[in-house]
Amino acid sequence: MNAIGAAFELVLQWQVFTTVLLAALFGLTVGAIPGLTATMATALLVPLTFFMDPVPAVGAIIACAAMAIFAGDIPGTLLRIPGTPASAAYTDEAYAMTRNGEAEAALGANLLFSALGGLAGTAVLIFAAPALAEVALKFSSFEYFWMALLGLTCAVFIGSAQPLRAFISLFIGLAIATIGLNNPAGVPRFTFGSTDLLAGIDFIPAMIGLFAVSEVLRSIASGVPSIGRLQTATGNIFKHWGGMVRTYWRQQLRGNALGIAIGALPGAGADIAAWVAYAVSRKMSRTPEKFGTGHVEGIVESTSANNAALASAWIPALVFGIPGDTITAIVIGVLYVKGLNPGPTLFLFNPQSIYAVFIIFVLANLVMIPLGWVTIKLAKRLLLVPRNIMMPVILAFCIVGAFASSNSSYGIIVMLAFGILGFVMEENRIPIAPCILGIVIGPMLEETFVTSMIKSDGSFLGFFERPIAAGLGIVTVLIWLSPLIGVLMRRRRAGASASSQ
Amino acid sequence: MRISDTMLGGVLIAFGAALAGYSQTFPAIPGQTYGAAIFPTAIAIGFAGCGGLLVMQGLRSSGRHLEAAEWMLDLRAVVGVALTVLAITGYIWLAPIIGFIPVMAAMLLGLLLFLRVRWPAAVVLAVVVTIVIHGVFAGLLLVPLPNGLFPRIPW
Repeated sequence: MNAIGAAFELVLQWQVFTTVLLAALFGLTVGAIPGLTATMATALLVPLTFFMDPVPAVGAIIACAAMAIFAGDIPGTLLRIPGTPASAAYTDEAYAMTRNGEAEAALGANLLFSALGGLAGTAVLIFAAPALAEVALKFSSFEYFWMALLGLTCAVFIGSAQPLRAFISLFIGLAIATIGLNNPAGVPRFTFGSTDLLAGIDFIPAMIGLFAVSEVLRSIASGVPSIGRLQTATGNIFKHWGGMVRTYWRQQLRGNALGIAIGALPGAGADIAAWVAYAVSRKMSRTPEKFGTGHVEGIVESTSANNAALASAWIPALVFGIPGDTITAIVIGVLYVKGLNPGPTLFLFNPQSIYAVFIIFVLANLVMIPLGWVTIKLAKRLLLVPRNIMMPVILAFCIVGAFASSNSSYGIIVMLAFGILGFVMEENRIPIAPCILGIVIGPMLEETFVTSMIKSDGSFLGFFERPIAAGLGIVTVLIWLSPLIGVLMRRRRAGASASSQ
Repeated sequence: MRISDTMLGGVLIAFGAALAGYSQTFPAIPGQTYGAAIFPTAIAIGFAGCGGLLVMQGLRSSGRHLEAAEWMLDLRAVVGVALTVLAITGYIWLAPIIGFIPVMAAMLLGLLLFLRVRWPAAVVLAVVVTIVIHGVFAGLLLVPLPNGLFPRIPW
């Protein structure tokens, strides 16, 4: 109880409230601008968090990310341009509603179910994380090795349509993670005589490059298209809330559950949760023919899922230090900078900080409703901010943010290199998320592998000797074999149907 | 620029080989089988494996090895991308010498004008954004943005 009291003391301060509020407004703005993602909002916010206390720093990121994921729905609904990838799954549906003159119902659903989804995800985070931390306390390097490998495996197999290209991205990330002195042997690797590289690649400028600079480059390459005409005339967004909750509570709960499950998996986040939830909603619906014509059912389910995933992605991040999505990958970097090293011991030694994080999660999702309403009202102005002005300004912020991470030009050089890398990768349809997870999880994977090998005297059997390690190992191997199993099953079925004919 | 699967695969195999070769120069931990080289070598094998699969895919579907993406056919877009990269490089090189304020303002002005923002608006925007960023980062957050030749701003 003392810890909870201390947590409230940490949160109930005007600095924290102001920070969270400002970060929320920032997230809403960035999320609502088409093409700028929630991850980019987070990456741009991080340099500012260096100068904050741990609780407001983490709180700012939570509020910013949650708002950005919701705000991404606004341009999706009004312009048919998803504000963030997490809204892409139901953009067509929401835009169809706008054309039917139901924009306020669509936006109302987005706002309500985003907030409720976020709260559901937070509830699970609050109960599951401490329980998992108890289990994780018993983990040794063997279990951590499998957890790290499982995280990377999920990122490749679940998080992408083309596993081969996701693998390439992952290996790029792992290779980047090997740079520097920070490895079990303490040998400088791939530093080529540079003292800056000895410390490894600075994570924050790398993120700014991959998510913000690459987007600026892409935007300029596409000629900074201006946005077409805007459908407005949004009425009272609260009008339909009662009816929607009564009609679609099943879809809401299912969306929440799916979102939480996918978010908690390391490596898969809100984007994938929204796609899966939309597909499930269509499959389970009594009126699947209405999907695509401006039917709110699928929107309810997937918008419930993406915000729920956002919260549950923090479960593996806080408990194991393994990010659940790209946003928590950045969060882990911030936690280390703030001395809140993620892992089960954080729950033992710093429970008040954890509880403070939980409280901010709840606050952020509650404050989303009034702020979201204001944003929807202001949407017209926000969406019409000329992009040819936005892009240079974003670039200026990127440069200063990257500089601030190390107070030297080295940060800007890293940012530029990763900006170009991200741009080239996207051009060649190589997803970026596995690369980030590789950078974050890579050092953990190597360290736990080498430590485990020293412990077991070079015997690979050690990885399967402890029950939890064996279980995790089997799951990981099964996911690897799943494409093979799928092919075999299909062949068998094809063979069976051929013989029965 | 879109690189064909065959070529991307070839590049990955070559990169994997270089990575593996360089990794073998890392000293071993005395008495240990697995030292600094094991992880990079494993990654190199991964690169080569992905590269091999891509080459196989690429050979099956014949196409050109280098294909210009749509935006590359538009000279303005290519110049835009090059200009942006040059602007950042220029900032890295010049800001420590001349100072944050003039270099950032010039960079913003150049990019804004390139993106067809009108002259008066571009000048005002470049100056205001530079001053605001300087005020927030150097003034409020005490980030030592380089002054260079530019006089110190009293915040």
